[in-house]
Amino acid sequence: MDSIRVFWTAAVVSAALCAGCVGTSWASELTIAIGSEPSTLDSQLREDGGERAVSDNIYETLMARTADGALVPGLAAEAPSQQAPTIWRFKLRGGVKFQNDEDFNADSVVASVQRIIDPAFKSEQASYFSTIVKAEKVDNLTVDIVTSGPDPLLPSRMYWMKMVPAKYSSDPAFAAAPSGTGPYKLEAWNRGQNIILKKNPNYWGDKPAIDQVTYSFIAEPGTRLSSLVAGEVDLITNLLPEFVTAVPAYAAVPGLETSVIVLGADNPVTGDARVRMALNLAIDRKALSENLFGGFAKPAQGQLVNPKAFGFNSALSPYPYDPDRARALIKEAGAEGKTVTLVGEAGRWLKDRETIEAVAAYWQAIGINVDTKFFEFGEYLTQLFDKEHRPGAVFVQNSDELLDADRPMTSAYESGASYASNSDADMAAKVKAARMTTDVKERAAIYAEITKHAYDEAYLVPLLNLEDVYGFSKRLEWKPRPDAKLLVKEMSLVE
Amino acid sequence: MTSLASPAGAVRKPWPFAALLAELWNDKAAVAGLSVIVLLLLAALLAPWIAPYDPAAQSIASRLTPPAWLPRGNLEHLLGTDQLGRDVLSRVLYGSRASLLVGVSVVTLAGSFGVVLGLLAGFNGGRVEAMIMRLVDVQVAFPGLLLILLVISVVGPGMGTLIVVLACTNWMIYARMVRAIVLGVRQSPYVEAAEMIGCTAGRVIFRHVLPNLTSPLITLGILEFTNIMLAEAAMSFLGLGIQPPATSWGLDVANGRDYVFVAWWLVTFPGLAIAATVLAINLFANWLRVTTDPQEREKRFARAMAAERRRRRRSR
Repeated sequence: MDSIRVFWTAAVVSAALCAGCVGTSWASELTIAIGSEPSTLDSQLREDGGERAVSDNIYETLMARTADGALVPGLAAEAPSQQAPTIWRFKLRGGVKFQNDEDFNADSVVASVQRIIDPAFKSEQASYFSTIVKAEKVDNLTVDIVTSGPDPLLPSRMYWMKMVPAKYSSDPAFAAAPSGTGPYKLEAWNRGQNIILKKNPNYWGDKPAIDQVTYSFIAEPGTRLSSLVAGEVDLITNLLPEFVTAVPAYAAVPGLETSVIVLGADNPVTGDARVRMALNLAIDRKALSENLFGGFAKPAQGQLVNPKAFGFNSALSPYPYDPDRARALIKEAGAEGKTVTLVGEAGRWLKDRETIEAVAAYWQAIGINVDTKFFEFGEYLTQLFDKEHRPGAVFVQNSDELLDADRPMTSAYESGASYASNSDADMAAKVKAARMTTDVKERAAIYAEITKHAYDEAYLVPLLNLEDVYGFSKRLEWKPRPDAKLLVKEMSLVE
Repeated sequence: MTSLASPAGAVRKPWPFAALLAELWNDKAAVAGLSVIVLLLLAALLAPWIAPYDPAAQSIASRLTPPAWLPRGNLEHLLGTDQLGRDVLSRVLYGSRASLLVGVSVVTLAGSFGVVLGLLAGFNGGRVEAMIMRLVDVQVAFPGLLLILLVISVVGPGMGTLIVVLACTNWMIYARMVRAIVLGVRQSPYVEAAEMIGCTAGRVIFRHVLPNLTSPLITLGILEFTNIMLAEAAMSFLGLGIQPPATSWGLDVANGRDYVFVAWWLVTFPGLAIAATVLAINLFANWLRVTTDPQEREKRFARAMAAERRRRRRSR
């Protein structure tokens, strides 16, 4: 260890001495462990965390997010403006080049949009862009994006769409030899072993501090942990809260995921609002977050909307833990000893099984008979989306990638959509109205109304806002992002 | 043998198990195995009375308490608590119910079905054999997990379903083994003689063929029992088997896996329970195998006699 430390100190000193000189023998290299090898590096095709970890550094998007989650222009020169309710105009940054020397301009944006929304391309990300009809070039650095109806979410959507070169992206070689405008470019892809990215010397933005990144594919969480402890990698994701003391360093950040139990508002027992309220009051969320999750989760604020997301209702607070009132409500509703089926799955999300079992025990304690049913993931999904037979209660973990209330609303609140379990037509109409409202204030007001109403009716049992926990090596310096992106340009190494 | 030697045997009429028990007493390892099995069965039957806590009673604030003899441990939870603060000792006691029940039922069900089909195939030959053995081939080639998923999605998960489904996917090995042995035995002179003097097929099968199968079947059953226990754990973990608040050893091992670096007691105690069960059954089965096999038994008898003679010679 000491010799390594001496080496790094020497390296830092020598780097400082010849700051600015090109082609030093020293390079700062970082290794990141990811769970799975990407099947392609064509960033528009798959919906895959391993692939995203790599291509977030190769490609860029029109809109970006700051480390706090605020939406800012990325490859766009300024925030987009609305020409008409269904037309958003983006001014582009000039002088940006793709890594294969193609220019970034209106043609590349049009090509990127048309490519990803083309049904024949079969992009797994297409659902993010379902409202986009087409993109039109206005001049070399101006593009109009046309949506099917008014879409207040379009700027957020453009934060998810990676820009690809107009010509080269149709080349079959593109998937294995990608080219983006980002701060890093592909150096080598050793199949089954690792992917190596090198700094892009022509990057338009601030020069990143790290010269080279290696992504190692380590499927087993235990192996990832021991690689980090052994010093083979500098960064691992999804660290179990129990292990934060075992790793050299760690960092946690409020993440995108919220765990929730959707109650069947039309079912026999859970159809009674008093029962639903009781099921909410029965759970000690504080104990769950502080003990089960070791403090790396916060009680959800009485809603499924992420606290960082647009539409979050800050007037709501978590349902209190009040088992006595819960018991009284159950008695009042005459639901003592009645059975509620709680459907869940195990192994997909962090501590899902433990959370579900804990909730079942809390409910049992207030006099409800809980029939917990764990299903294999495929069967679980069938149950989750079964419109005919809604389970009394079903556990879901919602991830809010676009950081906007629309997605959780559509999933869990809007009657008849996705896995929502109520028949509240009035609320559904409001969700639909909010989706079409482009006035920011008005839209926020509608969401506040919906979340308050759903809170009072207790349609959902929001459990916890989960934090992402990362394991660091001693030398890595980085502030994890709320959107869970691993942007190497924000990282640096110290010694 | 003694009864043959002494005509007085008819008068004394010893308890039929007495000789067996005396024989068992000579094999101390088998005695140990049998006692552990009896203890386990008692634990499973009496779990509600001897378990200190309800196995599903959680206390999140006192989760992952180590066993009593470790620094942070306390006497309230002898074997510590699990990831939700449930008592590990109580869970191990209750877990024995599901584990033993599933293991024994599946081995019995799958074994009986497989043995019957194997006997039919091996004894009858011809078209019956071809059909049964192709059925075995098809089922072996068919992915077991897919079948399980199909059944579970129709019937819903639960212990009964799990037992039936595991039996349905594990009977083939018995059929194959039984058929192979029957094919060999069928050619032996004593079976031919029995048929020649007009024994019915049933008598030939049950009186002359089946006894040859006893010891290999016991060995296979034991091996399968361990497999089934692990399969049950895997299924339950995926949500296809035992559903909470019930638990099983395998399920607790699977659940504690993530915590093994911070809380070894979650996997160790149910794991030890599985290991002890398998070892005990093995020790006892080893004795049973020898006892049920006439040739092996003769050898054991000869060894015992030789040892006796050596001892006598030395003492002389």
